[in-house]
Amino acid sequence: MTQFLAKEGVKNLHREGEKLITTHCCYCGMQCGMHIRLNEKTGKVVGVEPRYDWPVTLGKMCPKGVTAYQTVDHEERITTPLIKKNGQFVKASWDEALDLIEKNFKELQSKHGKDALSVYGGVSMTNEKCYLVGKYARVGLGTRFVDYNGRFCMSSAAGGFMKTLGTDRGSTLPWTELEHTDCFFISGWNAAECLPTSIQWLWKARDKGAKMIVADPRETQIARLADVHLDLKSGTDSALANGMLHIIIRDGYVDEEYVNERCNNYDELKELVKTFTPEYTSQLTGVSVEKIEKAATIYGKSPRSVVMFCRGIEQQRKGVDNVCTYTSMALLRGQIGKFASGVSTVTGQGNGQGGREHGQKADALPGYRKIADPEHVKYVAGVWGIQPEEMPKAGVSAFEMFDEIQNGNIRAMHVMCSNPAVSAPNTEYVWDSFRKLDFMVVSDFFMSETAEFADVILPATTWAEDEGTTTNLEGRVIRIRKVKDPIGESKTDWEIMKAIAERMGKGSFFPYENVPQIWEEFRLASKGGKADYYGITYDRIDKEDGVFWPCPSEDHPGTPTMFKEKFDTPNGKANLATVAWQEPAEVPSANYPHTLTTGRVVFHYLSGTQTRRVKFLMEQCPLPYAELHPELASQYNLVNGDKIKLTTPRSSMVLDVRLTKAIRNDHVFVPYHWGKELSVNQLTNPALDPTSRMPEIKVCAVKIEKA
Amino acid sequence: MNKIMYLEFERCIGCRSCQAACRECGGHDAKERNYVEYVDFFESRQTYPMLCMQCKDPACARVCPANAIQITEDGVVLSAMEEKCIGCRNCTFGCPFGIPKFDFEENKMYKCDMCYDRTQHDIAPMCASVCPSDAIRFIDFDEMQALRRRRTQMNLIEGKKPTEQDKWQYVPEFFGVYSD
Repeated sequence: MTQFLAKEGVKNLHREGEKLITTHCCYCGMQCGMHIRLNEKTGKVVGVEPRYDWPVTLGKMCPKGVTAYQTVDHEERITTPLIKKNGQFVKASWDEALDLIEKNFKELQSKHGKDALSVYGGVSMTNEKCYLVGKYARVGLGTRFVDYNGRFCMSSAAGGFMKTLGTDRGSTLPWTELEHTDCFFISGWNAAECLPTSIQWLWKARDKGAKMIVADPRETQIARLADVHLDLKSGTDSALANGMLHIIIRDGYVDEEYVNERCNNYDELKELVKTFTPEYTSQLTGVSVEKIEKAATIYGKSPRSVVMFCRGIEQQRKGVDNVCTYTSMALLRGQIGKFASGVSTVTGQGNGQGGREHGQKADALPGYRKIADPEHVKYVAGVWGIQPEEMPKAGVSAFEMFDEIQNGNIRAMHVMCSNPAVSAPNTEYVWDSFRKLDFMVVSDFFMSETAEFADVILPATTWAEDEGTTTNLEGRVIRIRKVKDPIGESKTDWEIMKAIAERMGKGSFFPYENVPQIWEEFRLASKGGKADYYGITYDRIDKEDGVFWPCPSEDHPGTPTMFKEKFDTPNGKANLATVAWQEPAEVPSANYPHTLTTGRVVFHYLSGTQTRRVKFLMEQCPLPYAELHPELASQYNLVNGDKIKLTTPRSSMVLDVRLTKAIRNDHVFVPYHWGKELSVNQLTNPALDPTSRMPEIKVCAVKIEKA
Repeated sequence: MNKIMYLEFERCIGCRSCQAACRECGGHDAKERNYVEYVDFFESRQTYPMLCMQCKDPACARVCPANAIQITEDGVVLSAMEEKCIGCRNCTFGCPFGIPKFDFEENKMYKCDMCYDRTQHDIAPMCASVCPSDAIRFIDFDEMQALRRRRTQMNLIEGKKPTEQDKWQYVPEFFGVYSD
């Protein structure tokens, strides 16, 4: 069940009576390598030991990673099924819980049709489980309504990459090459707090003289050290990128040969960015002309460059457009498909990459197949053993599922590995939707804010109690090992899905006894798709330090660098973006005169369900706060530690003030990791991107009052 | 011990991983012994790590009336011996860097011991192992010298003047400190 895989010559402190189990962190897409220390006598997880030989992170970990093991044997774990009776959760047996689920699911489906049920998944799970969520919804429950929390995470990047490059793999290059690059153009990525262990690669490159340009409304740690900090207004990324493209073309930095051979739409792009002069760009973005010129010159002159972006540009109404324009910067410079250069989004969730490829999305099937394509449906139906006509049609995106609840179309929901009561925008609407459901099931290992709305809570396991694979932010498929058996009566998510499917009379489609069996089926399901995992085996992952997809056969070496020869678009050429300027959905007005943006702190992960239960992390950052510039604060007579009331058209909340000059003087920043009255997502705007259905969490207009 | 503790303050990103990791070291009793501070959060997000400099002639040990602070053969200044420490707190006042901490419940001091259970086998201490930005490193002497030369070269290219001040008088050979 467990193994210790340190390479020869690597020293680890191996204490007597303890076993070291080689695995990866449960949190972000960096998937830092670590060994978990297990006491052999008590069978308890006792600590963590760095994994110096993991090539991507070299033993380094952020404070979340160091303390991740503390959630495994945590005292607040849910260890038995819970059923809500008269508003109180009561312990129940698995049979009671499953009986209740079966009765309600079947009743609701007979009354309101198959699509009365819905599944809300997440991507902090292994590939095996993420793959199974799609199958569980479509085959086990027979509903078309399935979607996942990646809609608030990766969907804009996915949409943008699909549009420009033809395939969505988060990073077109392996990150171990980053140290050899000459220039980073980073936008909307607070690297030091969101993916701290990535910093080693940035700093290594800088030691060799690499330049760094950072676009962010806040002067983050990386912005402070950047050669140019483009302190743009939230929601003006497409203008900034178009402005950069303008100068790149104007000053002759375009790799004409590459663009002619490998890109579509160059003439249209040239025409479009003509108007984005540095002056006009400066007027839209709030960044000075000198900075824009300097940044474009540095970027344009760098022989090898990487464009990187993250949720800052993606969680917008025009997230896909932003991704497309920034990707076009890399294309014009001829960077994609080459050594130490390219474009990369930064996956937030542990398996944000793998989890979005294999059919958890409303319109997708395993291997990036589409439900709209009859050939794709036919293939996957064949693997699953159903008739193609039995495959439900495409559903709706995560946030739109709440509209469907409000319209009375969705009557029941099964939430897995997700906490939309905190992470979705306009949370009061979401909470109201949960209350409107006839029946709600939540699988989780802690009492999350979403679980509190449930009728039945099923105790799931942590990442350390199950095995499987994840795909890190590079597209490298890696192995998560089982450290110990599940505590109490908790079951893994795949066992839960299997049990419910059995109750729904679909047990024959879920015959799995163990995870490798799911993996084998999943490899087959992804075979021939864009994200082809068929050639990847557990053995290969161990031997080769992970395998990059696409990997169509066992003798295929995997694909660390994407698009070396051609792009995955119909004619093999990348589509340059032609994106006209569009304001954010909400701009400052007389009533709401400032801009609110949200983000993360280094001590918490997503909705905080796990990290808010870890002592060290809570000591460092117990509460959300409002960060603002002293210049803005003085207009409202605020000093450090004062309370302020933030109001947007959705709702209002009260927060402590934290003053720093390291933020634009017209922006307010609030971290989002808390629930209920502490959740800044009460205020955020659910305006959706037309392609990716990503809500505009990062920009809205706000009113400030002294509280 | 054949390695050097090497700090580069400006690489620090303020994640406090080193503090979380310090709690994980065996014998550290889940209490961290190092510090991460903002220079001035009002002005910028610059932080810096601070840990025991393992002084050559440590003030903490000199002022200890109970001889509780032992120094290993390779020069590591250990945390107070439990059976000897009388809880007088002289060390916390004596240290020029303000490193030793005091546990009022147990009535004894505790400080960084450079994860001696690890470093005596040349395994990096927890803080240096996890530091995501390489602000704290545990490296070979030659590597440190190369880094310093490299830094000076880069500073000349970038137009900065290296300053050394007198920090080398404070700290022993196995402890490098670099700052602009």
